[in-house]
Amino acid sequence: MKRLHAILSLAALLLSLLASTAFAGVVEKKASLGGFDGFVERMGAGTRELGRGNTGSADTASMPAAYWNPAILGFRGNFGYTLNGEKRDLDRAGGALGVESPVGKRMGVGFAMLYRGDLDFEVIDDDDQTLGTAKPFFSMMYLGFSYRATRRDAFGLSLSMSYDNMDVADYYDNIDLNDGYTSPVSLNLGWLRQWNEKWSTSVVIRNLSFSKNLSSRWTKTVSGDNSVSSTEGVRPKVLQIGAGYRSKVMGKPVYAWMEALDYQLADTLLVFDTHWHLWTARMGFECEIIPDGTVRVGMDDVNYMVGLGYKFKIPIGKKKYLFDANYALTYESEAGLWNPLSFGLRGYIP
Amino acid sequence: MFFTERHLALGCSSLRRGLWAVALGCGMALAAGETLFSNWAVAVAPGPNPGNLWVFSRGEVNQGVSLLQLGLDGSGKIKVEKSDVEPVDNEFSVVQANIYADKLAERRRIAVETAGDLGAVLPMFGLDESDHFLEPRGFFSLKRVGAVDLSPLDVPASAESIEKPMDYAVSGFAYQASKKILRIARGRLGVVEYDISKGAGNPKISNKVLEKKSHQWVKLPTSSNVDFSKYLDVWGLAENPATEEVWVASAQGLWLESADGTVASASKVLESKRVTGVWIGGEPLQAIVETSAMNKGNLEGGLWRKYLDSKEDFQRVAFLDSAGTVQKKDIYDNSDFTVTNVVFVGNKAFVGVWVAGGSVSGYLLLDSKGVRAHGKGGASSDAWLNGFETGVTDRDAIITSITKFPLDAKTMALAVATDGNGISVSADTGKTWTPILNRAKLGGNLGTIRMVPSVITAGGQSLVSYKVGKDSKITIEVFSYDMRRVRKIVSSAPRYGDAFRSTDPKEDFWDGMDDAGRPCTMGIYYVRVKDNHGHVGWGKVMSLGGGR
Repeated sequence: MKRLHAILSLAALLLSLLASTAFAGVVEKKASLGGFDGFVERMGAGTRELGRGNTGSADTASMPAAYWNPAILGFRGNFGYTLNGEKRDLDRAGGALGVESPVGKRMGVGFAMLYRGDLDFEVIDDDDQTLGTAKPFFSMMYLGFSYRATRRDAFGLSLSMSYDNMDVADYYDNIDLNDGYTSPVSLNLGWLRQWNEKWSTSVVIRNLSFSKNLSSRWTKTVSGDNSVSSTEGVRPKVLQIGAGYRSKVMGKPVYAWMEALDYQLADTLLVFDTHWHLWTARMGFECEIIPDGTVRVGMDDVNYMVGLGYKFKIPIGKKKYLFDANYALTYESEAGLWNPLSFGLRGYIP
Repeated sequence: MFFTERHLALGCSSLRRGLWAVALGCGMALAAGETLFSNWAVAVAPGPNPGNLWVFSRGEVNQGVSLLQLGLDGSGKIKVEKSDVEPVDNEFSVVQANIYADKLAERRRIAVETAGDLGAVLPMFGLDESDHFLEPRGFFSLKRVGAVDLSPLDVPASAESIEKPMDYAVSGFAYQASKKILRIARGRLGVVEYDISKGAGNPKISNKVLEKKSHQWVKLPTSSNVDFSKYLDVWGLAENPATEEVWVASAQGLWLESADGTVASASKVLESKRVTGVWIGGEPLQAIVETSAMNKGNLEGGLWRKYLDSKEDFQRVAFLDSAGTVQKKDIYDNSDFTVTNVVFVGNKAFVGVWVAGGSVSGYLLLDSKGVRAHGKGGASSDAWLNGFETGVTDRDAIITSITKFPLDAKTMALAVATDGNGISVSADTGKTWTPILNRAKLGGNLGTIRMVPSVITAGGQSLVSYKVGKDSKITIEVFSYDMRRVRKIVSSAPRYGDAFRSTDPKEDFWDGMDDAGRPCTMGIYYVRVKDNHGHVGWGKVMSLGGGR
């Protein structure tokens, strides 16, 4: 009963956060988060985590850890890897990969790369003529480090940068248009505490920079001949607080995850005016319904997910290698789009 | 294109196209595919036969002409029956590079004339050393498709003393049909007489300049050392069809060349004025003159008129409110307007105008009393200006040229060219207009959604092009890549079912902004169009961002 209560409490907290998001939207017309850079980051990484609502920052098993919470790297005991790919409706393709390794007994290091793109963007000119098809893509790379200060606490940081390619310059011969845009390096800080066997919490601060106001903001020079005005990239600062709860229901392992995210839209060091903050929340549940077989459900803002996972070992030589195959289905409710094609594989090399 | 300077001109209005109307051209026979060489139309001119219309377009890379065969369908709507397009040598253009930015009125118009066997003639500019169209080279001669000729005009050695080639740019034509002579106003180099009495392919060309002292024509000196300050720049020409007298707009006054070649002042009141253009026509015959001069850094312009059967001198054109009361201030007091062309239909004149920069453009409707305001009030220039606001165009594109042409034996039609939105044609002397432009074929019931263009900058405009089979209520929303809604464009807006396009160009576009009016960052955005019959379609647009 206590377990159920704990899970319900988490859900209630989450719902209240979601409600505050909706309420804020009614009271004030805020800039839309979708209009800012950082959607690659916002869409998460890892099919396993996607299936449970894109929750992963408070789970020491999340991958790629350099993305989710660099502090996780401090808990790595083996070399780990993850490879994920998905195809969403409207020709959106994405994926993520990561490798990570312990360094000594208390430290870890990891790399992650996230990718999103459109496989069929029709370039149409003012004469309503199709000039061709572009394949723009957007990527982010993370390099994370962690130090486990105690048996329960680890702190980490990751350096991240983005590279985007719009792939349309070839269609505009008369303009010296740039296709590729690289952001400067941003800093992400993470803390994870494993309170006990049941509870874990995390705090991640994303998109701090070394520029004014610590903002992750940079200039994008659109054309070399100044025929098109330069523009700016802005990834809002993010405060991401996560919690995880592990228990058993009817003898089956059950996990509950939640994350609350605050996006600061203003280009200031810190602002408390709610008009400049946008909140979202994520939550997910998973249950190991058969040995090594997991069913997941989750919710990321107003998107809904269902996931499946299965772990298996393959002996190679004298060792057994653990593999974890995952699947996720996503429903983007605001747009009404079903995305049934998300697959991921991860594992450890002992 | 989408984000160059001129586009910006449109978005700011998209570039300045505060874009644009419902069911474009519900009666167009050639609704899909290529109707014009490009929607970036800069000049229109009558074609060789009734119903024919020349359109000169300059795309982002190429330029060319279209010869349209227009007609009326059973319900009296304009239809395109045939369209032939032909590319033009990209080394030459009818548009000088700084046409929107130039301060001088005589350089901010594209002169057009129908000149017998030469067809429609327009100025021709070549590339200078910086690859800008700032070298006057002669004129284009649009005879028929397949016979679009470049007619170069020699630059005499004497022109070497003229510092800026644009000082001898072609800014006006007058064709004398009886003698088959095309007169060409060539600024500092005076007037070219292009005699085609022995055939258009065998012209006899002579050059003359107007002496400032004697006010008589003399042959253009050809030596390399000429003091051009002794001559008057000539910027406009018009022939009185009744007397064959030629009116000459010059840097100092308006002059009248009689049939025997003698020259006299045509107006005392304009003697000291910088007269930048003259147009004659209408019933009864009237002459419209534009004056424009810089005064202490400000451009002072004016519009003048004289009925040719009257002995009265030219008078400033009155600007009236909708009730007919003359206003103290006219349109020139509000902005730096320039006349692009004047078209006479009966006792009315349609005076094409735009302001420096091209952000405001259209035409003034001039009747016997003056320029009549089309709406209430009259204190602002917009009250007199017919353009996007009054339905001449369905997107806020720059109106660059106006002309008239016989649609059939009974109907004299008007046409305007727009820089970005094709042309608009009126068969009822300006009461209603039909836009004609290139449009791709669409699938019905939201089966195809095309964003036109699909690459913009914030502040630009991407038209949401779609069609529904029956009258519907349409909702259009824009989503980011991660499917967060950033903008609701219209919600349950009524749209007509149409065989070609149901888009309302005045509303159905995305300008790269979110609902809060902030520019969305560089990226791909997804546009959902829903109707109230359960149909959903998606389009894609890329924003290259914009200032925050």
